[in-house]
Amino acid sequence: MNQILGVAADEWRYWRRSHLALGGAIVFLILVISTSLLNMLRIDAETHARSQNQTQAEDTFRAQPDRHPHRMVHYGHYVFRAPAPLAIFDPGLDFVTGQSIFLEGHRQNTAMFAESSSSADFGGLSYLSPALIYQLFAPLIIILLAHGAIVREREAGMLVSLLSLGLTGSRLLLGKGLALLSFIVILLLPLVLTCLFAVARGETFSAVLSLFGAYLAYLLLWGVIALWFAAIVHKRGTALAALTGLWFVMTLILPSVAVNIASNKAPVAGKIETDLALLAEQRGLGDGHNANDPAFAQLRAELLAKYGVQRLEDLPMNFRGLVATSAEEKLTTVLNEYAEKRMAGEVHQEQILINHAWLTPSLAISFVSRSLAGTDLAHYHRFQKEAEALRFSFVQGLNRAHAEKVSYEDDINRNKSEASWQRVRVSAANWQVLGAYQFQTASLSDRISTSLFSLRILLIWLLAFLCLFLWSGWRIKP
Amino acid sequence: MSAFKFVLNELKFSAKDRTLLLWMAVVLGLSSLSVGFGLSEVHSQKKVIENLIVSDRQDRIAEQGKLSDWGSAAYYNFHLTYNSPSGFAFAALGQRDEQPWKHRIRMLALEGQIYERDVGNPSVTLIGRFDFSFLASFVLPLVLIVLLYDLRASERTAGRYNLLESTAARPASLWRLRALIRVSAVSMCLLIPLVFAGWFAETDFLTLLSASTIVLAYAIFWSLVCYCFSAWRKSGSVILMTLIGIWSVTAIVIPASARLIVDRTVALPSGADILMLQREAVNDAWDLPKDATMKPFFERHPQWAHYQPEKSAFEWQWFFAFQQVGDQKTEALANAYRDGRLQRDHIAAWVSLIAPPSLLERSLQSLANTDFNASNRYESEVRAFHRKLREYYYPKFFNHEAFDKAALERLPEFNSGAQAAQ
Repeated sequence: MNQILGVAADEWRYWRRSHLALGGAIVFLILVISTSLLNMLRIDAETHARSQNQTQAEDTFRAQPDRHPHRMVHYGHYVFRAPAPLAIFDPGLDFVTGQSIFLEGHRQNTAMFAESSSSADFGGLSYLSPALIYQLFAPLIIILLAHGAIVREREAGMLVSLLSLGLTGSRLLLGKGLALLSFIVILLLPLVLTCLFAVARGETFSAVLSLFGAYLAYLLLWGVIALWFAAIVHKRGTALAALTGLWFVMTLILPSVAVNIASNKAPVAGKIETDLALLAEQRGLGDGHNANDPAFAQLRAELLAKYGVQRLEDLPMNFRGLVATSAEEKLTTVLNEYAEKRMAGEVHQEQILINHAWLTPSLAISFVSRSLAGTDLAHYHRFQKEAEALRFSFVQGLNRAHAEKVSYEDDINRNKSEASWQRVRVSAANWQVLGAYQFQTASLSDRISTSLFSLRILLIWLLAFLCLFLWSGWRIKP
Repeated sequence: MSAFKFVLNELKFSAKDRTLLLWMAVVLGLSSLSVGFGLSEVHSQKKVIENLIVSDRQDRIAEQGKLSDWGSAAYYNFHLTYNSPSGFAFAALGQRDEQPWKHRIRMLALEGQIYERDVGNPSVTLIGRFDFSFLASFVLPLVLIVLLYDLRASERTAGRYNLLESTAARPASLWRLRALIRVSAVSMCLLIPLVFAGWFAETDFLTLLSASTIVLAYAIFWSLVCYCFSAWRKSGSVILMTLIGIWSVTAIVIPASARLIVDRTVALPSGADILMLQREAVNDAWDLPKDATMKPFFERHPQWAHYQPEKSAFEWQWFFAFQQVGDQKTEALANAYRDGRLQRDHIAAWVSLIAPPSLLERSLQSLANTDFNASNRYESEVRAFHRKLREYYYPKFFNHEAFDKAALERLPEFNSGAQAAQ
């Protein structure tokens, strides 16, 4: 054990004297801290703006004057997606997904106003976040420190004497590994600090801990890869060039190539495409605005029979309101079916993307990180589903008011005169059917279970290279 | 030794250089992959548009049963608008994953429709596609760095440096020649697939030529940077890390911080405000006296000012007038939103002068018509088309023309202007 600690201490001493390692680490820390600060400011401003918009939208809706309830169905409502607390570390999809959805009767709208679509365009790599810095640059710093670990002694001819002094190869490697581990933990301090700010914003400690664990595994993997290389090559230059090559292939090239493959293999039909298919199907459902639509003949016959009356006017409820309720329900079933299909398509595409994490751990960590932070595709879908649930509930609430509080006779004659317009109005108290909305991340256990697939891949990567690393440690040769 | 022999020797040496051959193969493979995927993506986007044109038309025909007058025709008829990928889009898909390139709009207030975003999986947008512009802008410099950083240092460690310096007639020209061979070899591997793909996609010759020229200039720029640093009397690792540092700063740090700064300094009206204002304007109109709607409407369309709205009944004229007035009321905000985005892009164009990777990517996107300007042009086309729809229907409404389903065949059709421009 003492030998291992001694090797680790020596390694630290060497790093402290090396300008390159020291400089790299300092630049990295400055970069990660400044990005964290800037990102936190941005996310906080967004959170504030979006929750204010949400309250304002709810207040305006509830403050609408007395009117025909169906007018409110078309008046509609807005929901805004507040960023997850851990978005200050990994904003994930927040930037490229729409922040608000307009909710109205008879339609499911897309999420609008993604920040990226109005942002200054500097190309692919300019969405810098603390998470991306860890995924992209931390491996580079680790390579910078670790690439010379054993090959350095080998080049200087010192490995013979070290090994003849009774130090075994595996202890030497473990010592270097220990030094690197301690360095990685230091690298991760800004992550912990940033995430603690998320705790102040409502996140749990365990989420921070799991995020820390995931990044520890990822960086450890790179450390092990780098040390393994350093143990088997004979020239420092070779180690550095090869590791740098590996770094940009893994972090830069493979993830986007995987995107190409996934979108090519499993294309997802766009909303307009599916909407048109849906419209074709929906034509049989009947237009909820038109109570004479033959699609409602059955409803009409049933109701007349149920209440034993001859005319729609004699029903205890407004037939037009009932038609609107029934049409909305049928339509929503179809809309949801299509929406589910679209989301399933996206999830399938994403799954293909995640499978490529077998080729590059940087894809694995990016998915784990987004899932744990609550900024992944699952959460974007969650937002859409919650918005839809809210839409359906307030639209049906309004339709109920339409059926119960507006008389059928007034309703069909509403366009006759100013006075008939007045008669079909219901009191603004009915607008309280609108529920308050706040987007919240899923529970941690849900988030962990989404991340499990990619997490497992990451851990298998780590395990595989750990074995390779230890194996080469036993066989280390001068 | 004659100059010719000198070059020939060096070529022979390079032909045996396994590192160089490996990277040439990698670049050739990646370039083919990127243009291949680009071509297939463009193909599928064109296919989507073709299919949409058909099903959009079918939907309009199927909905005809609902139409009983001009007003209901305007209300129920949706129209497809789209922005076809240009002949060079395969090389730089740019904003097409981020900005909408297809809409289905109708005669209602446009502001409520134009911000709909029918874009794909956000994970795809976030990670970004591996297209040619990404390869050339971000990966090519790294390949050049790896190939050139130890031009001298490797010979120094191999112990051949002094020998080479003393045997070469002009030592400096040896390193220059070696660098030149490496750069040209890699650039060729990068550009050959592009040219083939361009020929296949029938890209405009000038576009292809300018793209190749700027990519070459970019490769030369990075080679010069690497060449200068490789002359530095430091160890190979210091040179390599310095070069990668320069890459990181120009490819990531400057663009990312510039994005933050530009977004912060050029304020935009929030999209939510535009939508809310538009909705309030349209919905309030139901409860306002009709004159309150018709007056601002007639200001824009004095030719219909003779029209006398009925006092209380529902009229399509009034309905569509308040839709338009809704747009009029949000005009200032919507313009500010557009101008703000244009200004952000304008500043980004200047800032990218100090971030060459962004500069190249932006230039390729602009050649491919996939940059912000192109999506802004598309948005203007949609607005113009919507205006045409209004111009088609308004005379029918206000002149009380008899409803004629056959005339619906002569509805304005959207023509993608970008389609013509390569």
